[in-house]
This record gives sequence, C-alpha cells and structure tokens, in this order.
Amino acid sequence: MTRPDSSSHIGVILALALRNLRRQVRRTALTATALILGAGLLVFSNAIGDGTHEQWIDDGVRNGSGHVTIEHPAFRMSQKLEDRLGAEVRAATVAALATEGLVDRVTGVSEQLTISGMASSAAGARPAQILGVNPEAEAAFTTIDEQVIEGRYLKSDDRLAAYVGVGLMDQLDLRLGSRLVLTGQDAEQEIAGQLVRVVGVFRNGAPSVDQRVIHIPLGIAAEWLGTGDDVSNIAVMVADSTEVSGLVSRLREALAGPVDAGLATVLGWREAMPALAAMVVVDEYGNYFVFGILFIIIGFGIVNTVLMSVLHRQREFGVLQALGLTPRQTGAVVFAEGLLLTAVSTLVGVGLGVGMTWYFFGDGLDMTALAGDAMANVDLAGVVMDPIVVPMFSVVRTVQMLGWMMLLGVLASVYPAVRATRIDVCESMKFDR
Amino acid sequence: MTGCMGCARQTVGLVAVSMTTLVPPSYAQVDPYEIMDRVDQLYRGESSHGTSTMEVVTENWDRQMTMELWSLGNDFSLVRIQAPAREAGTATLKADRDIYNYLPKVDRTIKIPASMMGGSWMGSHFTNDDLVQESRLVDDYNIDLSFDGDRDGTVVWEFTLIPKAEAAVVWGRIEYEVRQADYMPLGVRYYDEDGELARTMEFSDFVTLGGRTVPRLMMMRPADKPGEHTSMRYEDLEFDVEDLDESFFSLRTLQRRR
Amino acid sequence: MSQSPWARIGMRNLGRHPKRTLLTAMGLAVGFFASVVLVGWSQGLVNQMVENSTSLLGGQLEIHDAEFLPERSLYDTIGGRDGVDLDQLLTRATSDVRVVAAAPRVYAGGLVSSGNSTVAGMLMGVDPEREVALSRFLDVLTAGRLPRPGQNELVVGTEMARQLETEIGGELVVVAPAADGSMGNDLFTLVGTYRTGLGEIDSAFAVLPVEDLQALVVLSAGRVHEIAVSTQDPWVAEEVALAVTTAVDGDVLEAEVVPWTELNPALVEYARLASSMYGVILVIVFGLAMFGVANTMLMATYERRREFAVMLAVGTTPWGVVLSVLYEALALGLFALVLGVVMTAPVMIWWHNAPPDLTGLVGEIEMMGSVVSLTMQVEYDVNFAVMTAAALLATAVVAAFYPAVRASRVPPADILSGL
Repeated sequence: MTRPDSSSHIGVILALALRNLRRQVRRTALTATALILGAGLLVFSNAIGDGTHEQWIDDGVRNGSGHVTIEHPAFRMSQKLEDRLGAEVRAATVAALATEGLVDRVTGVSEQLTISGMASSAAGARPAQILGVNPEAEAAFTTIDEQVIEGRYLKSDDRLAAYVGVGLMDQLDLRLGSRLVLTGQDAEQEIAGQLVRVVGVFRNGAPSVDQRVIHIPLGIAAEWLGTGDDVSNIAVMVADSTEVSGLVSRLREALAGPVDAGLATVLGWREAMPALAAMVVVDEYGNYFVFGILFIIIGFGIVNTVLMSVLHRQREFGVLQALGLTPRQTGAVVFAEGLLLTAVSTLVGVGLGVGMTWYFFGDGLDMTALAGDAMANVDLAGVVMDPIVVPMFSVVRTVQMLGWMMLLGVLASVYPAVRATRIDVCESMKFDR
Repeated sequence: MTGCMGCARQTVGLVAVSMTTLVPPSYAQVDPYEIMDRVDQLYRGESSHGTSTMEVVTENWDRQMTMELWSLGNDFSLVRIQAPAREAGTATLKADRDIYNYLPKVDRTIKIPASMMGGSWMGSHFTNDDLVQESRLVDDYNIDLSFDGDRDGTVVWEFTLIPKAEAAVVWGRIEYEVRQADYMPLGVRYYDEDGELARTMEFSDFVTLGGRTVPRLMMMRPADKPGEHTSMRYEDLEFDVEDLDESFFSLRTLQRRR
Repeated sequence: MSQSPWARIGMRNLGRHPKRTLLTAMGLAVGFFASVVLVGWSQGLVNQMVENSTSLLGGQLEIHDAEFLPERSLYDTIGGRDGVDLDQLLTRATSDVRVVAAAPRVYAGGLVSSGNSTVAGMLMGVDPEREVALSRFLDVLTAGRLPRPGQNELVVGTEMARQLETEIGGELVVVAPAADGSMGNDLFTLVGTYRTGLGEIDSAFAVLPVEDLQALVVLSAGRVHEIAVSTQDPWVAEEVALAVTTAVDGDVLEAEVVPWTELNPALVEYARLASSMYGVILVIVFGLAMFGVANTMLMATYERRREFAVMLAVGTTPWGVVLSVLYEALALGLFALVLGVVMTAPVMIWWHNAPPDLTGLVGEIEMMGSVVSLTMQVEYDVNFAVMTAAALLATAVVAAFYPAVRASRVPPADILSGL
C-alpha cells in the first residue's frame, strides 16, 4: 500500500477536524461562544485595567513630580530651599529636554521653586507650602488649576499673584484681591517677606493641600528668595508611562556631570512615588488572579467539549482507524479540533475585545454605571480616582493574550487527543454511536 | 516692649517728614530730604535701657510679667523677664530681622523659624513679626497728614500710612494719632484692606522718664476679641546709655541669666 | 405522580459519565472557589485598611469636647476648663461589652529641637499601658522602649528622629505654648522610635506620658483633649458611639462621641466601592461557566434522545422530561457545590488564619491614609458564600433549560425508528 505523503496527511487531518466541528454545530457554537466572550472579556478588561492604571499614574504624576523628575539628591527627603538645582544644572536639563531625541516625547515640563514658610493676613498667620511656578507650563501640567472655585489660575504676566486653597482662605479670612504676605527663609538664611494678592481660589479636597499650598509666579519667588535662576525641581511628563525608563536613562546620560558631582539626580515616577507604584502592582496582581481563574474555567470548557466529542465518536474513529488512520493521526485530528476551535474563537474574541476597546476609546467607560457614586471620593496613595476610564490598547498585551489562549487550547486538547489515540478499534465498532 | 521707643522716634520722624509737605512750595526753604536725614541722625545710635511690666488678658488666662529691656537704634533689642520667678531669665534678642528666644530652664536658644513668626511673642497680642516690622514703617508706607485739629480737647495730627506698592505688610492702612503740643503718640489703629479695624494701640500716662516725656502705658487691643488686651507699663527708662553698643546684643548676652 | 423518579433518573445519568460529570462540575467548582476567595481577599483588604487606619493612631471612636474639632485648640479639653474625673470617664467609656479599650490623649503643638535642628510637631500625651491595648503604632517600636511617666522621656517617629539627627538617648528640647500663656519648655530624653510607614505621622508626632505633657503645658490632671475608644468590630462603631454617649453623659459634659465613619468618610466610600464589584465578579465568572454546563447538558440530552423518546412514548409528559433534565442539572450543581466547598474551605481557613505574606513582592502600600501590607488575608462572608452557591446552582439549572426543552421535544417515533 502506498503511503500518502505527509502534506496530504495534514490536509486530511485538518479536513476531518473541521468537519467534526461543523457537524456538532450547537456544541461547537456554545464552546466557541464561551471562548469568544472569554477572550473578548480578557482583552477588554486588560485594556480597562491598563487604562485605569495609566490614569492613576497620570493623576499622580501631574500632581506630584511628573513621570520623571530632576532634583537635588537631598531634596526629596528634606524639601528645603537649600537643596535646589543650580542655574547651570537647570539650563543643562532644559537643553537636554530640547534635544532631538527627547523633545517630541516630552508633553510637559514643570519647573518649581519650593519653600515652606508662613502666610499671613490681617487676621492671622498660618504655615504654608509655597510653590513658585511658570503659570502656563504649570497649568498644562498639573490639575490644580482645574480645581478653581473662584477667580482664576496664575497667568504668565502675573507678578504679585497667588493661587490659594479654600482652607487657607477661610483660616486667614481672605477673598479675591486680598493682601497676603509670605514669609520664609531666603537663600542667605535670612527671613524675608513678600507681598502677593489672591487671584484665584481652589478646592482640592485634601485638607493638607487646601490649607497649605500656594502657587505664585516663579519670577516673584526667585526675587523674594534671592535664588536667581535656580529651581527646586524640574518635573517632566511624557505621552505614556511606558516611555519613562528610556527617558530616565537618556537624561542621566545627558546630565552625567551634575549627577556625578552630587548636584542632581534623575528619578522615574516609580522611585519618586513608591506608594503609587506599589498600588499599581497590587491591582495588576489582582487582575492576573482573576484572569487566571477565567482561564481555568474556560480551560475546563474546552477540555470538556473536546473530550466529549472524542467519547462520542468512538465508532467513527474506529472506522477511520480500520481504514488506515493511525492512532497518532487520530490523536492529531482531535488535537487539531481543539486547536482550531480555540484559534478561531480566540481570534474572533480578541477582535471583539479590540472592538470594544475601540468603542470606548474616545470618551472612556464611565464606571459609575457599575459602582455608583462611591468612586467620587476614593483616594488611593494620594490620588483621587476619576470614574471615567479610557481603555488602553497594547499590542504586546493583546499578543500575550492570544498566546495564552492558544496555549490553553493546546493544553486542553492534549488529554482528549491522548484519549483518542487509545481507542480500541474493535471495541468501538461494536457500539452504535 | 521697645515699641514705645520706636513709636516715639517714629512720630517725631513722621512729623518731620510731613511738616515738609505742609509748607507751601513758595515757602519751601527746607529740603524734606535734609529733614529726614537730620531726623535719622538724631536717633541713630540712640540707645535705651529700662524696666516694664506687661499684663496680658485673654479669654483663657491673665498674666503679669516684669522685664528688663535694652535697645539700640531700630535694629537691636533685648528683653529679659525678671518675674514671675518661674520664667525669670527667659529672654528675646532681636538682631535685624532675626529673633532668638532663650529658655533658661533648658538652657537653650532657639532661632524663631519663618513659620513661627506669626506666633505671639511671650503670649501677648504682639507677634514676633511685630518686633521685626516696627522698624520698617517708614520704608514700607507712604505717609500723609489726614487730620489736623482738635479731638476730644487735644490738638492732634493724624497721619495715615498706606503701604507702598510692593511692601510686604498685611495692613491695608494704619492711622497714627499724635499730640501736636509735644509730639507724643496717642494711638495707632491698624486696618485690613477692606477697611475693617483689626487692632488698636493706645498710649497714655505721659510722664518724664530718663529726662524725656514718654507715654508710660501702652495698650494693644485686638478688634475681634473684645475682652482681651496686652498692656505694657514702663517703670523706669534711661537714654543714651554708656557703653551700650552692638556687641552687647549677642547670643552670649541673651543667655545670661541676669 | 411522584417526582422522585425524575430525580433518580437524573442522578443516575450523572453517574454514567463520571469524567464528563467531573469536568463540568470542576468548571463550576472553580468558579465557586474563585468567587469566594476573590471576594474574601477583597474584603480582607478592605478590612485591613479600615482596621489599620482606625486603629493605627487611635480607636474606632473618639470622645471630644464639642468645640474641639476642627481647630483642636489647646484650651478645648473635655469638660471645659474644669476637666473631668479621668478614671471615672474611662470606666464609663469601657462599660459597653463591645468596647475593647479606652485611652486618654492630650495634644499640644510645639517645637522639638536637638542640636541645631528644630522640627515643628504635635506633642501627644498618652497613657502608655492603655495605649498599647488601644492603638497599634506603639506596639512595635523600631528602637528603644515606651516612655515612663515623670522621667521626661519621649518617643518620636523615625522620620522626625532623622530630621533631628538624633538617636536613642539623645537630648531633646521641647517648647510649646502653655495653657496659661507662658512658653512651656523642658528637656527630654529620646527613649524610643516608632514607624507607621506614613511620612506625615512619622515626622509629626512626639509621644510622651499624659502627666508629663500636662505639666509642660500647664493643664491640670483632669484636663485631656480626647478619649480614644476601640471596638471589637469597626463596623459597629456607629451604634457603639450612641451607647457610649449615654454612658459618659455626653450631653452634660458637652462632649461628642465621633465614630471613624464620620472622621474618615472616604474610607467608608472605598468599602462600598469594593463591595459593589462583587456582584460583577459573580456575573462574569458564572456567565462563563454557564457555557460549559450548557454544552454538557446538550451533549447529555442528545445522547439520551432515545431514552427520552421511550419516556415520551410510554406517556411521560414533556414537562416530566424537562424536569428530569433539570434535576440532572441540579444534581450536577450540587455535586459541583460540594466539590467547590471542599476546594474552598481549607484554603479560606488557611488564608484567614495564616495568610501568605506577599509584602516581599511589593513592600508596603499606602491606601486611604493607612498602610496595608499585602497578605492574602481573607474574610469570611457567609452571605456571599451562600449567594455564590445559589448562583452556582442557578447557573447549572438555567444552562440546562434549553437542552431540557429540546429533550422534551424529541419526536418519539422518529427517534425510536433509528434516526
């Protein structure tokens, strides 16, 4: 008997597999539906999960120190004026950020001069955290300007202007236009005062911010404190958080001089805000756990289906084997069935997931539908959650999903395939099925 | 507190300055700048030494303290508590814009950080900031004569001080009332920018101490707490103290117990 | 006609295909396991957060003078200027069985100075013995020991110690405005440091015995600002607050008893948010599992079409056939439930009492103003477990409904003739 060559073997196997799937339409459809929904759900929830994390990170870094921050090595702990970036380091950083490779990745730069001092009015005095900022750059960077409840944020031609929290307004009995005197220890360790006037009031929600934070123009802060062109830190935003490590290494290279001299350090957001980083990791693990469970459930579904199809077609396999199909080939047929089913369903499911992601991409998914108003005030690691989540599509993740699902299909088809190879030809043909 | 000395100096200074504005241009033979300079010369290097009692009444407690004071010009002053015994030796040194407190019980000196400048001095209604600010009135305010005439039987001048454009002061307006006869200050009113009275200082009991006429009693009342006040009464005072120079106003002197 | 034949038939069918039954049941059982464990873990996390933030620095309830919050003035002690009989107040506060402990607190803002460094902070006067029974931040000191009364001893947070550049045995100057208007000041010795992991606490609070702080700021022995009270279960705080108010004569004293839910509403919101997700989890998990069951039942009914044909031919009503299939599904569900419980219970018990600690992976996390360490701590939620069980059984039955109906529509003659 001539042996057909292997290419037609594969063809026969595939044809048999396909035909089997088509014959048990309902069963195939049910399992396929489960797989499609499962895959779609996994892709979509991954996208939502990533989108949520991206948003946390975005909120956190906008109101913290950016995706990447350049500052004096001692500044993070001490928060003192004396631990600041000299004018040359500042200039070098700005130049580095403007170079070809980096300038198009950077979406925002915020330079700040920070000092802890006192704010006083005719009604009293309170400790305050004063930030000298560039109004335009800062407004694009942070979200504090959007929390305005009266007046406006600083403008680039402002001089003696202050943007104050509602807590401090109440404590010092201020209103728009009121005099406010800021007192602090300047670059020479002398106590210096500065007049500003309130141009805007914000409500952040966190009392530590509403009662203490004041924004004034950087120029006035520098005049007041005699710090010239120095700044306390430079915060940088990029388009998305995956670009951070690249930016950090480029900047470290570009600023090698100051960094080695101990005048500056470059920190990614994970180092600057470890609480936020930890939170993201925890949430990711939680998601993986859920995905794992879903995989297992789907996995059982596949095994079940494929196994059942094997057990039900014993006669058929018996006949096929009698006709010359080897046990191994029988196993291959079953295996191919499982794999085909998984592959097609997964592709469709992933397509569905991507479609859903696309659909919500524009305006985001409003989670309040699921969670109600509970989301409004939740604060995790200092970041208030926004209920509208924009899913984030990642090719890497999607391919990973595909990979895992295929693996699942493979694993789930192995046992049934092995079972199929053990069919006893004679026994199986005895039965009427 | 040495506020009195500052006030006395200032009122004379103020009068001198505003006198020049009163002189019609056609009679302006005296250069205002020259007058200011002469006023400055008159009080530069002026030193003082004395004792006083301070009483503070608040809604929660009353206190009396006796203290010894030294001052040199506008920039240096030292105040040391003599009584009650529990607090004797506690002292405050002002050198330019820095304030140091010495606490005898723990034998430590603390430099007042910026965030405490708004805090009250020795529990009174004066703030640490007041101690520093008083010497800068002429620098920070524009002075106008707003009233010249009789008030309650006394002929007075009232000077209105409006902060200069970028002066780092919290008051919207300060009104000084001065007795024309002998240039004695009668009272000061501090207003916020909305025109609300925030606090009042009153001078009274004019006597001769150390060869000069001075108001012996100074009383500060906050406007928002009607029952409260801080009053300072000079027991004795001498001027142009021998051998009192800048070196006296040091941390070492601060830390001496007596 | 009794229904028991359908039940027996249903169960027998299950037994005939053990592997299939097992596989299908496993799908459901895993769903059960996942839901219960996930929800248990989420609740464990929420509970940890609540416990941590309410018992870190204090208790689940606080008794204050009515004027005390929000300004926290030195003068607003409980019972006003005259103070209270502290022992009596404490006894009354702990009279309710749900109260675990109560401890007095005195607060004063001041400066702590060492060498050249000065730090502005909050001085907290406590009763060290009572405090340890109440709050946790002094339970494990990073160095040294608790302060003893009358010795001028002080304990600060690790961050404050770092800013002061001092260590155990170091001398600290403490200055605070006193209640009689004078400047309270004294020398203290640092005898211990604590660490909560929260920067704003570790850099701000200096702890010393109540009597010592009262002496420093000239407050008489009966004057305290707060009595912190802890309850067994944070979730009964509001009820207990009412009970305690009566017990201590809150109205007469002009004192208020505030539960943590009022002091920290954001935490309550987070708990609510977390629990709103549980329903979603159930839907997703069992929705998926449903397909598996449907598939199985479809198979099962198909292969037994002859049997159904016979049943119908001998006079069984279609409804009877449906019932038999549904019973089979129910039996499958019950079996799956048993499997699920067998899988879940040991894990839940293990992770409830000795949860694996994942802190090594991620360090400590700050959420809602408290520090949680990532353990797999789970909480029992019997309600949810019951709901999950019901969902499981419902899934089984609902998934079988369509196959059951199909089974009842089997044309007897055609099937029996061999088609």
